[in-house]
Amino acid sequence: MIGPIPLSHVLLASGALFAIGVAGALLRRNAIQIFLSIELMMNAANLALIGYGAALGTQQGQIIVFFVIAIAAAEASVGLAIFVAIFRHTETIDVNKINLLKW
Amino acid sequence: MERLIFDAAALVAIVFAGLMVAGRDPIKSVLALAVSFFALAVTYVLLLAPFIAALQIIVYAGAILVLFLFLIMLLNVGPERPDGVRRPVQTFLGSLSVVVFAGLLLGMLRASGARLPGQPEAVAADALPDPKALGRLLFSDYLLHFEAVSVLLLAALVGAFVLARRENAQ
Amino acid sequence: MTLVDGAIVVLRVVVPALILPALVIPLVWVERRVAAFIQDRPGPNRVGPFGLLQSPADIIKLFTKEDVVPAATDKFLFLLAPSLAVFAALSTFAVVPYGPTIRVAGKVIPMVGADVSVGLLYVFAITSLSVYAIVLAGWSSNDKFSLLGGIRSSAQIISYELAMTTAAAGVVLAAGSFRLTDIVAMQEGTFRLLPVVPRWNFFPQVIGFIVFFVSAFAETNRLPFDLPEAEAELVAGYHTEYSAMRFGSYFLAEYINVIVASAMTATLYFGGWSLPGFHPEGWLGGLLGLLIFAAKTAFFVLVFIWVRWTLPRFRYDQLMRLGWKTLLPLSLANLLWVALLAIWRTSR
Repeated sequence: MIGPIPLSHVLLASGALFAIGVAGALLRRNAIQIFLSIELMMNAANLALIGYGAALGTQQGQIIVFFVIAIAAAEASVGLAIFVAIFRHTETIDVNKINLLKW
Repeated sequence: MERLIFDAAALVAIVFAGLMVAGRDPIKSVLALAVSFFALAVTYVLLLAPFIAALQIIVYAGAILVLFLFLIMLLNVGPERPDGVRRPVQTFLGSLSVVVFAGLLLGMLRASGARLPGQPEAVAADALPDPKALGRLLFSDYLLHFEAVSVLLLAALVGAFVLARRENAQ
Repeated sequence: MTLVDGAIVVLRVVVPALILPALVIPLVWVERRVAAFIQDRPGPNRVGPFGLLQSPADIIKLFTKEDVVPAATDKFLFLLAPSLAVFAALSTFAVVPYGPTIRVAGKVIPMVGADVSVGLLYVFAITSLSVYAIVLAGWSSNDKFSLLGGIRSSAQIISYELAMTTAAAGVVLAAGSFRLTDIVAMQEGTFRLLPVVPRWNFFPQVIGFIVFFVSAFAETNRLPFDLPEAEAELVAGYHTEYSAMRFGSYFLAEYINVIVASAMTATLYFGGWSLPGFHPEGWLGGLLGLLIFAAKTAFFVLVFIWVRWTLPRFRYDQLMRLGWKTLLPLSLANLLWVALLAIWRTSR
């Protein structure tokens, strides 16, 4: 329990979000949606970390989330740069059509 | 009351995450995810992490997703069109693994939540922790990690610049 | 919580949210009169005494005009975007302290909507959401001028947000808190070494103030940074396709943003409602504090107007160069300087 919120609700929400993220990353063809799904999975993990941290009465969960957010920012900038580079060459971001190592 | 708000916010986050995955238009997907992240920020406030909640909105909704929007508008990526190729095997295997994975994950989270040393009512909802304490922890016990992340950000900065540069630029 | 307490909370929160849009009406008149004064012409002076009724007349016109939604737009987003703009502009003010904490009839009333521990971060969070209103308007209009305005604005706001946040980090470092009431409290009184100078952040952090104020112009899309709506090249930028009160919403949001940016500047760098030697007592003290705060805010609003009608618009590359190569390094230097000051203060 965190105040009146049961930890199980937090974990359930986190698990559901992560599963949706996995579904998006596995089933979609659009690179942007795959990327967004990965961001969603990170957020699901963040929710679980904050929930555990609050339930245990420690701030360590929040510290890890802080690092995750910083890493997500780094990952997003590099990932989007890769999209720009790929789009310049192939004019598409459909991952099924990006199947050549060299163009 | 808090419990109701939490459940509602979590539900909004899940529903809009689902919309993000299901949508065909990249812009709509980004917006759905922005709503989902906003709802998550609400849950963070209820879980006694207001600093992280503010950070979540500033960094995710305010910077990363805006960058996505910027990119989609710049590259003019339209809605996804079916390309006529059906991939029944891949779709089946993908869906199967999603279902199996979701089952496993939820089962494990359930077990772990039950095993957690109980601290019921130890944290009162009105005792919102000061961001100061977080900063103190960050710059003492986690100083090395903090510096490592700053190096990582610098590397990402340089990497993004090199990747997105036009090769034939003078 | 009794009924009276509940009523006080409602008053604290709701009244500013209602007064802000109402303030826009005289503000538009002030802007047009000042502009006319700067350009040596009379300005609106026909409708009512001194032309004061010009703005209400314009608003009636905006409300009664036909609301055109172009056929090729994305309807949902096109209609959503203007309300987002007003929402972001209004909700920023919730954490800004507009007066001292007063004691009336045994009740302690802090004159601030919500005194949260991450106040300043909240302001930046909501400000960063306001970019959605512009980007969505630009994209959903399905018009190249709107789209260009939207793209420009997203790049501009992200760039200037960095410098603005880093400059404001200096204030946070000096106050040791994100809470805006703490930031006001640390600026009460005078410097110990120079007892005639008020302890405003402006004096030790004049560089931070300049960076913050310049970035505030960019964040509110005001001239000289109004590239997202540059009328000479983009017709009206992101709100080209909007008409009637939907256009009015953007107009409203822009002026509310100007007021909020001025209020933030007054709070962060000029002591908010406080003055040296001013110790608020009872409801009269609260009223005086409110007046001091309003006066400081009004001063910066006038500076906003003055700058708008004095400076020409930047070119896009000049805008980017100024943001990244001048303001960001300056704000970092300011942060370093404030950190040195803090070390000096604690080591004494």
